[in-house]
Amino acid sequence: MESNKPKVALVTGGNRGLGLAIVKSLIDDDYSVVAAARSNTPELEELIANSDKVFFEPLDLSKRQEIHGWSKRFVEKYGAPYALINNAAIAHDGVLGTMHESQIEDVISINVTGTLILTKYISRAMLRNRLGRIVNISSIIASTGFNGLSVYAASKAALNGFTKSLARELGKINITVNAVAPGYMETSMSEGINDTQLDQIRRRSALKRLAETSEVASTVKYLLSKEAAAITGSILTVDAGNTA
Amino acid sequence: MSDVREVIIDSIHRVAEQNDLEISNELTDESILLQSGLDSLGFAILVADLEDNLGIDPFVMMDEPVYPTTLGEFVAIYEKFTKQEG
Repeated sequence: MESNKPKVALVTGGNRGLGLAIVKSLIDDDYSVVAAARSNTPELEELIANSDKVFFEPLDLSKRQEIHGWSKRFVEKYGAPYALINNAAIAHDGVLGTMHESQIEDVISINVTGTLILTKYISRAMLRNRLGRIVNISSIIASTGFNGLSVYAASKAALNGFTKSLARELGKINITVNAVAPGYMETSMSEGINDTQLDQIRRRSALKRLAETSEVASTVKYLLSKEAAAITGSILTVDAGNTA
Repeated sequence: MSDVREVIIDSIHRVAEQNDLEISNELTDESILLQSGLDSLGFAILVADLEDNLGIDPFVMMDEPVYPTTLGEFVAIYEKFTKQEG
């Protein structure tokens, strides 16, 4: 890769919430960032209008058959990315006993199957450069559990296992694979958690507050930096001490 | 020697060289792929490299997973799918 060209980072679900915060954080550090998501948002459009380093590509991870072709077109257009941030995810709130089968399938299809298939093809482009960083956005719920989020928790626990094994597969060609496990943040993803629950989470956290999306995003940025070159197969928790 | 076969053999040598792997003997149709010198990650790189050079990944196009054992089987798969694409 030419050193004077900005490194390309692909952020799935980069149109809102934590994904958008990651996009913002990476453009500050001179990455060329492609936000891939099902739809664009006014916030992402504004970023694109004000920066020549942000791009949007429509991507629906539930359409498994389209991911190979999408990845091929992505690499033709932007080159092999330096970094892949697997942030796209959905959550259906509700106890397992009454959750519709289609909702269980949706969560696994996007958060796990689609994410793994995208990683397969994007990491193949990295293989040829013998360089790359993969960051999977997990959740503290993968290890702590949360009432009403069992399917989401299962999907995030899957990413933790994926992270560790893939780190072992790709380590010898200089590709690191890590996960970041955020605690509760004030994003649309935590809309199912009511104010009383959020207050309880704050009280039980060592820092007596929630983690900010910008703080989680800067952890992702750190994992992409030269300084983090020796970190692989790790799961970094950013939760204001909620699980301390 | 078919063009596809030639592209595959070239690619095997290139991938081996880039990854400090040594290709054991002269490659023939009977050569066992996993004894040829490429490891499993080497094969992943080979398939990616061939997708660049031949424009297809036949293993993605197949409805069922197939894992060829010999070089001859590997080449035959690429020849079959290259014809289909052409």
